[in-house]
Amino acid sequence: MESFFSRYRNLVVLTLALLVQVLGLALQVRKADTGTSATAQANVTAHDAKPVRLIRLWAASAVTPFERAIHWGTQGAANVWAGYVDLRHTREQNAELQKTIDRLRLEQATLLEDARQGQRLQGLLKFRESYIYQTVPAQVIGSSGSMQSRVVWLDKGKDAGLQPDMAVITPDGIVGKVRTVFDQTAQVLLINDETSGAGVVLETTRVRGILRGNASGQPQVVNLLADNRIQPGEKVLTAGGDQIFPRGLAVGTVEKVVRDAERGSYINVVLKPAANLDHLDEVLVITQLGETLSPQQQADVDTSEALKGGEVAAAAAEAERKRAAAEMEERLPSLQDPNAPKPADGTQKPGDAPVPPPTPKPLPAKHADRFSPSGASQNEVAADETAAPKAAVVPAGKAGSATKGTAPASKAAAGGKPGGNTKPGGVK
Amino acid sequence: MAVLASEYRRELEIRRYPLAVYVLVPLLALVLQAWLPRLPVVGRFAYFDLPLLVTVYFALGRRNPIHGTLLGAVLGIGQDGLTQGAIGIWGIANTICGFLAASIGIRVVVENHTIRMMLTFGFTLLAGGIAFFVTRILLGLSYDWNWIGEILKAAGNAVIGLGLYPLLDRMQVRD
Repeated sequence: MESFFSRYRNLVVLTLALLVQVLGLALQVRKADTGTSATAQANVTAHDAKPVRLIRLWAASAVTPFERAIHWGTQGAANVWAGYVDLRHTREQNAELQKTIDRLRLEQATLLEDARQGQRLQGLLKFRESYIYQTVPAQVIGSSGSMQSRVVWLDKGKDAGLQPDMAVITPDGIVGKVRTVFDQTAQVLLINDETSGAGVVLETTRVRGILRGNASGQPQVVNLLADNRIQPGEKVLTAGGDQIFPRGLAVGTVEKVVRDAERGSYINVVLKPAANLDHLDEVLVITQLGETLSPQQQADVDTSEALKGGEVAAAAAEAERKRAAAEMEERLPSLQDPNAPKPADGTQKPGDAPVPPPTPKPLPAKHADRFSPSGASQNEVAADETAAPKAAVVPAGKAGSATKGTAPASKAAAGGKPGGNTKPGGVK
Repeated sequence: MAVLASEYRRELEIRRYPLAVYVLVPLLALVLQAWLPRLPVVGRFAYFDLPLLVTVYFALGRRNPIHGTLLGAVLGIGQDGLTQGAIGIWGIANTICGFLAASIGIRVVVENHTIRMMLTFGFTLLAGGIAFFVTRILLGLSYDWNWIGEILKAAGNAVIGLGLYPLLDRMQVRD
């Protein structure tokens, strides 16, 4: 027996090494009897067993400190160059950024009212919206090093508050979700990995689906029924139903629609991701979702309203004033004569005397008589405009003197004849 | 003739390296394998497998199948540990490659750069094939087998090996 092992010890060691690994694989993969390959893949990656997690911890502990050091060194050199040496065009960029901030503040303040109305409606419908309440910025320090595995490693972990299944995003769009967390590092599964999954919705057609990566590393919305409304270029957003990504974050744009190879009646929508998944540097991990805006977001909104919201309020007040004026014009047609000659340029010259505001229209007398100037003018106006027989009871001369402020307009409306078709003297 | 024979025997002797080389070089291979694909320029052309390259080099140099097997297993499992997939896929591939490389190193003179290049090319293709077999056949999972990608990776490994092997040769302990 001893001679057998000593003679074939190389093969024995090889067999043992392979056997242990095959057994380990068999324990990791718990394929369902009727499951597809995707199901099995999901089973592999759902939760690591303790020994597997231990191996990952060892691998991460061995590799990530060096990656962190390399990243720190290169980043430091780049920062020294960018922060102290290469400062050309900084002022111009600063001015441009300030303009952008101003514009965005104005847009934010403008959209705020719509957003609040939407929130009120959502509240009426008992719809609970999730806002990004708190994020942790993290640096990407490494990858898996394998083309079959799309994961990246972050320089933040449990110590920074990261937990599994937290969403990872960039300002451009979603990146993936936290899969495994160690004390100072975390592994992020990218959205273009075959084992990833996220609920998404196409922006225009409102078709909902599940986002997965394909073998080539492209994210795609899978298992959709054939729909010829889906066209390249359409934006895709997170649907918010997966309890990981908040609703409405950018995912990407439709690149092409391909038929499902296994099931002909289904299609897969291949996307171009919004975030640059091949070159990630800084990402944000959403550590907390809330039903209200975070204090920082609220402060931003308040600043927007304070700084630029005044412009919006002024514009809104101006619009309201014009609307009120228009209503007033409708109610008081006699105060403006459409046939009256307009100023040459339509504006008042600086040297001209200020035009007095239109005289308020006095209330009409209940019973018109000759002693009531307002009643006379009212009747005259009514006669001018409608030629009602009632106007005939008012003396034209009295009416002309009574409507001193607006007489020219009234006369002009009547074709230059004071009193219009009323008879002098009238009925006594 | 006697000089040539002694030279040949000396070359066939087991190569020895300082312990730091045994530890740091495989570790550096793992680190660079995980870090280099992140670089904007390298990322697009990341057709290499540095842990396999190191496994093949030490297996060929040590000419010890057990050493090659264990080194391949450790480096392969290390590679698997950095992915999100099942642990053991690249472990099995590198284990077999390490064993075979050491076995070949006993029988064939592998000092020639061309032979080394060809062996590295072949072992890289073999490792890809084993990973495909394990993933697709044993585990029933999907695996994107891309012939061009695999050949490019094998060629990349061969080219890198051409520069790396002489560098590592300098680190060996001479009697």
